[in-house]
Amino acid sequence: MHNVVIVGGGPAGLSAALAAAAAGAPVLLIDSNSRLGGQYWRNSVDELENQNEQHFDLATGLLLINAVKARKEIEVWSEAQIWSATNDEGKNTLRVIHQGKEKIVNTANLILCTGAYDRTLPFPGWDIPGVMTPGGVQSLLKGHGVLAGKQVVVAGTGPFLLPVAAGVIKAGGEVVSLIEANKSRRWVSSFIVILENLSKIKEAFYYIKTISRGKVRAQFGYAVIAAHAADNGELESVDIAKINRNFKVKKVKNIKCDVAAIGWGFTADTSLAGSLGCKQVVAKDESVVVWVDSEQQTNIPGVFAAGEITGIGGSDLSMAEGVIAGIAAAKFVGCKVDISKAHRKRRAKRQRFANALIKAYPIKTGWQLWPNDQTTICRCEEVSLGDLKFSVEELGATDSRTAKLFTRCGMGLCQGRICGRSVVDLVAKELNVLPTDIDRISAVNRPIITPIPLGVLAQGE
Amino acid sequence: MSQSEIQFTFDDKTISALSGQSVGAALLAANQRSLRKTRFNKDKRGIFCGIGVCFDCLVVVDGITNQRACIIEAKPGMKVQTQDGSNA
Repeated sequence: MHNVVIVGGGPAGLSAALAAAAAGAPVLLIDSNSRLGGQYWRNSVDELENQNEQHFDLATGLLLINAVKARKEIEVWSEAQIWSATNDEGKNTLRVIHQGKEKIVNTANLILCTGAYDRTLPFPGWDIPGVMTPGGVQSLLKGHGVLAGKQVVVAGTGPFLLPVAAGVIKAGGEVVSLIEANKSRRWVSSFIVILENLSKIKEAFYYIKTISRGKVRAQFGYAVIAAHAADNGELESVDIAKINRNFKVKKVKNIKCDVAAIGWGFTADTSLAGSLGCKQVVAKDESVVVWVDSEQQTNIPGVFAAGEITGIGGSDLSMAEGVIAGIAAAKFVGCKVDISKAHRKRRAKRQRFANALIKAYPIKTGWQLWPNDQTTICRCEEVSLGDLKFSVEELGATDSRTAKLFTRCGMGLCQGRICGRSVVDLVAKELNVLPTDIDRISAVNRPIITPIPLGVLAQGE
Repeated sequence: MSQSEIQFTFDDKTISALSGQSVGAALLAANQRSLRKTRFNKDKRGIFCGIGVCFDCLVVVDGITNQRACIIEAKPGMKVQTQDGSNA
């Protein structure tokens, strides 16, 4: 019997597992990937010393992964998909597909570390093969040793664009253009936070060094606003626009590329927490995150959360939160441990840096003018902006939930993970109102966590 | 552990992959960027999120539809096909 069940094998989940096991609690770690490490320390089956190139700090990741594997108190289920989760009077039930079978896990004590994925914004041509997320380009490199293209445009906003551009160059690709929508001077107001987090600056310079070696000049205040396909239906070029501080287009030029990696920060994957009934809130960057107290506990006693799902903040913050969640969960099951002041201070320092990041890389409403009526908004169900407008103007939808029911926007296989956030903004714009927190939280409500083949259920436990 | 090479087919082509690679990664390395056609507009789609979130890189694997090419591991002799619409 496991006392603590942890979901997610990234920086937060690994840290939580080690902290809980060190405190004496037996742990079950459930991870959807085939190898531990999450997105940040994603690795391939190749020899690990060959993989340092694509990482700033794989050493820390390996330290945690190997420590988790070495501890006999920790059992790991890899390639395990949780498709359903419920909470009933203190008992959490997870339905997991593992090794081709459905397994049912009942636990009173759970730590959710389900991470995040790239936030994307719709624009004409964003569904053409060759347009990807930066995370996608990086996972192909880190997890499979494959360079997505020869001439790559890296664009969007946020510090994550730097490692992606550096990774492409290291793998022998050309970064045709590295474009950041925000101006770098937004950082000036966060001077003190930078000083107390110098290691993060060191990381940024590590990437910048590689990028400048590739003779790439970063352009600030620009964005990709359209993509064009060749006759074969695949990406051939993108339109890059100079934008103002509200992301309104000023001047456009076209450049050739075979891959465009475009990302706008991250969206927390709170689906599992939402299914359990954990309270969710809207963060400063308008993403929906899981609410936690100072011990990383959600509003459900015994259910903890750590890492990106409690607010986007990067791997360092995720580790700090994971440690606290692991200790708190062990304490919850009766282990004699306590969260120290040092743990809390470390988390606070990294939280200040995360807050500064959110302030430095805002996403302004001007993007809502990039799509036209023909632009696909929901990629799964092929719903266009014109369809969404029709549901508001002609069918009388008064919020994004109704627009979704009229158009099937966000009701495809990804369950709105890609378009959900944008639909809330676009429908509100059409209605000439501001999205409410209720709009945003209801857009991430997913009864099924991962679609699974029905046949697997028939042979379950 | 060094990586051995395996082969699978995509429609009528033979594709090489390193052990542990995903079907989608191996196809991209073979310059195969389009993986499916959408149900209504018959638009081409390929790998988008690369981590199993977006369900855009769907292919048919050994007769089973809606498989995410980006996360399904390439195995020797696998028969992978372009997914046309929902292939139902």
